[in-house]
Amino acid sequence: MRLLALALHRLVWFVPTLLGLLVVTFVISRVVPADPVALVAGETATPAQVEALRHDLGFDRPLPVQFVGYLARLARGDMGVSLFTRRPILDDLAHRLPATIELTVVAMLVSVLIGIPLGVVSALWRNSPFDHALRILTVSGLAIAGFWLGIMLQLLFSMRLGWTPLNGRLPGYPPTHLTGLYLIDAAVTWDWATFGVALRHLALPAATLAFPALATLVRFTRAGVLDVMQSNFVLYERAMGLPRPLIVWKYILRSALTSTVTQIGLLFGILLAGAVVTEAVFDWPGIGTYAVSSIVLSDYNAVMGFTVWAGVIFIVVNLLVDLAHTLVDPRERAS
Amino acid sequence: MTHGRSRLTLVLLAAGLVLGLAALLSAPAAAQTRFVFANESPYDTLDPHAAFDVGRVAVRLNLYDGLYRWLDNPPKLEPWLAESHTVSPDGLTYTFKLRKGAKFHDGAEITAEDVRYSAERILAMKKGAASLLSTMITPGATKALDRHTVQFTLTKPAAIFMAVIPEIHVVNSALVKKNEKDGDWAAAWLTNNEAGSGSYMLTRYDPAIGFTAKRFPGHFMPWGAKSIDEIDFRFVKEDNTRVLGMIKGDYQGTGGYLPNDQVKRLREAPNVKIVEAESMRIMMFQINNQRAPLTDVHVRRAISYAFDYDGFNKEILGGTVERNPVPIPNNMWGVPRDVKGYTYSLDKAKQELGQAQAKVDRPITVGYLQGFSQTEQAATVMANGLRKLGLETKMTSEVWPAMVERMKKPETSPDLVVYWISTYYADPNNWIGEMFSSSQWGTFKASSFYKNPKVDDLLETALKSTDRAVREKAYQEAARIVVSDAAGVWIYNTKYFGPWAKNIEGIRFSPIGNGQEIRWLHYK
Amino acid sequence: MRAVWFVVARLARDRSALIGLVLIALLVAAALLAPVLSTHPDDVFELHPSERLRAPSGTHWLGTDRMGADVYSRLLFGARITILIGLIAVGASLLIGVPIGLVAGYYHGWLSDLLMRASDVFLAVPQVVLAIAIAQTLGPSLPNVILALSVTYWPWFARVVYAETRALQKEPFVESTAALGASPWRLTVLHVLPNIASPIIVRSSIGMGFTILTAAALGFLGLGPPPPTPEWGRTIAESREFLPGAWWYAAAPGVAIFLTVMGFNLLGDGLRDVLDPRLRRSPARDG
Repeated sequence: MRLLALALHRLVWFVPTLLGLLVVTFVISRVVPADPVALVAGETATPAQVEALRHDLGFDRPLPVQFVGYLARLARGDMGVSLFTRRPILDDLAHRLPATIELTVVAMLVSVLIGIPLGVVSALWRNSPFDHALRILTVSGLAIAGFWLGIMLQLLFSMRLGWTPLNGRLPGYPPTHLTGLYLIDAAVTWDWATFGVALRHLALPAATLAFPALATLVRFTRAGVLDVMQSNFVLYERAMGLPRPLIVWKYILRSALTSTVTQIGLLFGILLAGAVVTEAVFDWPGIGTYAVSSIVLSDYNAVMGFTVWAGVIFIVVNLLVDLAHTLVDPRERAS
Repeated sequence: MTHGRSRLTLVLLAAGLVLGLAALLSAPAAAQTRFVFANESPYDTLDPHAAFDVGRVAVRLNLYDGLYRWLDNPPKLEPWLAESHTVSPDGLTYTFKLRKGAKFHDGAEITAEDVRYSAERILAMKKGAASLLSTMITPGATKALDRHTVQFTLTKPAAIFMAVIPEIHVVNSALVKKNEKDGDWAAAWLTNNEAGSGSYMLTRYDPAIGFTAKRFPGHFMPWGAKSIDEIDFRFVKEDNTRVLGMIKGDYQGTGGYLPNDQVKRLREAPNVKIVEAESMRIMMFQINNQRAPLTDVHVRRAISYAFDYDGFNKEILGGTVERNPVPIPNNMWGVPRDVKGYTYSLDKAKQELGQAQAKVDRPITVGYLQGFSQTEQAATVMANGLRKLGLETKMTSEVWPAMVERMKKPETSPDLVVYWISTYYADPNNWIGEMFSSSQWGTFKASSFYKNPKVDDLLETALKSTDRAVREKAYQEAARIVVSDAAGVWIYNTKYFGPWAKNIEGIRFSPIGNGQEIRWLHYK
Repeated sequence: MRAVWFVVARLARDRSALIGLVLIALLVAAALLAPVLSTHPDDVFELHPSERLRAPSGTHWLGTDRMGADVYSRLLFGARITILIGLIAVGASLLIGVPIGLVAGYYHGWLSDLLMRASDVFLAVPQVVLAIAIAQTLGPSLPNVILALSVTYWPWFARVVYAETRALQKEPFVESTAALGASPWRLTVLHVLPNIASPIIVRSSIGMGFTILTAAALGFLGLGPPPPTPEWGRTIAESREFLPGAWWYAAAPGVAIFLTVMGFNLLGDGLRDVLDPRLRRSPARDG
């Protein structure tokens, strides 16, 4: 019941929140001093041609009218056309989304698969040298500038050692397009050469992106495990003489995982923010670089399109996480 | 146990057979030679009439042909699709005879109608070379006299017409007309496809990645025994990636205007050779002559004395460029050899400032290009010099399209903007003519907004006359005046340092094509 | 005042918090004493092209950059910019976010919802993207970076204050004071604020670190103060084309950023442990 109430409450506010986001972005993007219409018309266009193009694109109407028009088209699923690539924004986003998804998922996997076990071990061996070393690492994880870490990794592994490529997703043309996720596309079409190349290209950016997420995960897992270890029911079980490994697996890990699940939302936020900068460093053709270049080129439609997408994703994920938290945390459920 | 083992053996055998077959079937028929080029600009369009710049020249050079073509260094105009041409005595009519039997990629013969259509298309689309061509020919002034003769009628005699002829890339008019939509001259279609006759035929294109093309055996120019079968031009943004790629052998060629430090790295690579050539590409600061206090010649001269030319050319760029004090490249005709230009002298600068009527009481905006760190460094050096004179500066950066936009009007253009002007065609008009004629205001080359009737006269004379001696005198005189007026700050002329794979031969460098015409190349 | 002393004493016993404090002190010292501590103070503006890209040596402790300027000296002056951005941006976020959080927490109903959804709007897009949009629109400069960061960080303060205010409302002493007829103002200033001071202080320290990282990212992308400002992020961007040769050029500013942010993070953690043991247990709501 409480779940339903929460969900409904959030859904009611979903539209206004999204609207607010759009208004803010719309205002910001229109305040831009450069004139993107003139940029699009080309170097040799006459003022008359620029004005004609402006009229074609509908940019000569008053701002509120433009905004309403945009909303109307959005409701029909039309995000408009990029001023620069002249392709539908939805196409551009769809084209670039898989790159970011692949990077983010791999980074997430890396941080979860490495972070949680490290956190558990660190808590179990509390205050050991291993624990201390790990704590230093985790504190560093949130203090290192992501773009700097990426550059240092490039310096060491690409330039000095030559183990990985410098940047990009692939040096040439992608494998047969199925999902846009090169690892999957290559594996499914048995193109293992491309799979290997794509993996090597993913190595550094995923590591860079995963590092702060990894640090956060280790910290919280460790804290969660410590919490549980000191809780009453665990002490009871130990007093009863249950073997330690069993306790660890049955209770501690489960509780640690629960608290971790609720951190996914936070993790997602970290990864998304990090993706923008990581993509810039590694020239990764994803949503992050798309957002930045759209902003720099004053591509109104692209900026709005990106914001809509990001806003929807964020709000939905937040809602899901809050729901999950309510579901999963027995303390919340009781109150 | 035996059951399992024998079953296992069977499976392994079958697998081995399958793999073996697969390997056999997938073996390449014959070794195809490939050439991969890493380009610093994206190939965002394949339309030969939409772009005029050096960054994307590979498309036009390899997929298309023109009536004549610029080849070698110093650049010479050679007959290409045309066998010859004649000019009427009054200089208004140019008649070209096309070679017979030249074909487009789809097998259709190239006729005068295709040339006429291509010329009209450029004028109609108003992009690329249209701004230049439209000053010389109008729509309808091109005629196909017969199947292999095409005639252009100019509005007035123009010495640079022949120089710009190579930019009329001939498109397959039948194919293009078939893909027209709503009278757009097939602009949408030709962006992603090709309708050419060039040495190579398009096989693959992705605007984010680049294009690949394979050899066109039916090209009218003969092929060598070892000519390259497949070319692959890719957009690789980062200098470091291109350099590493050359060193590793991933790329066999890349742009020749890399920073000096990178060129040094490439020289040391065992499989890379650096081809040096004198190019024609000036770097300069445009001064906004229309905005006070830069309207005062003494202020402009002071600025010209405030830039550390040697520090920039010799130290920061490692001596890889030549000081070029005049708005015409040193190795082009038309340069007044007696003009020494400005030097770095704060004393002289202060003297000039003292003589100035206008007072510099606000920060001077210095514009540079985002993504081109050399312009950022030049701007920093300039700002430093001005600071030493007691003048404040404000740095402003834009991406190139945005800067072009700002430079269209004197009100929006920065006080100083630094960038390069490359060789679009090999004639002094490409530089001094388009930079300082007041008729060119609004183009990106003329962001000096200079207006001097005497210079306008001289440039006009040079454009109209076809007598080289007359033209040379006019350009020299114009250059003297412009330098004395300190209408801009001219820093250097580039040298080309082209990285190529060591085993590549036959490179024909020209400042207009930058060696990217692959049909001449072959592996040793 | 006794409370403050108590906090300091407790803090002093936490080793990592002390390290944090030391690092911050180093940063502040570097910033304040830059003209004195630097070996080439003029190199903030001066160029020496003939000395460019020299390796660390006796004269140039951290080598020289692409213009021949001393990396170490520019680093010290860059500390000034870093602190300035951090203090003002976090301060402004605080001044915006705390009142909003208070109002949202105190009132129930549509106003509260509205304010919290407004903060959601600013949190929906990654802070760095929003900051980029603002900086690009207004033009790259120091004031604009600070503005961009302030506008995007206030939701964190608002959220914390909102949560704490709501929690406090359930406390008996608040209910009784309200029942006695205290005005909302009195209630807020005299009773609520002192109790939420701890989370605000903790959030400020962590916010400093976070803001400094984002500011460096903006500088790296070219949206920060223009050249020749020795901003750390911009310096890293400049250094890229000279790698792998001039590694010190990229390494030094990165290490500076690392130590600075680490300092604030450690201090923040320590403060959190001291001020509110409750917070130490709940791993949620971090940023």
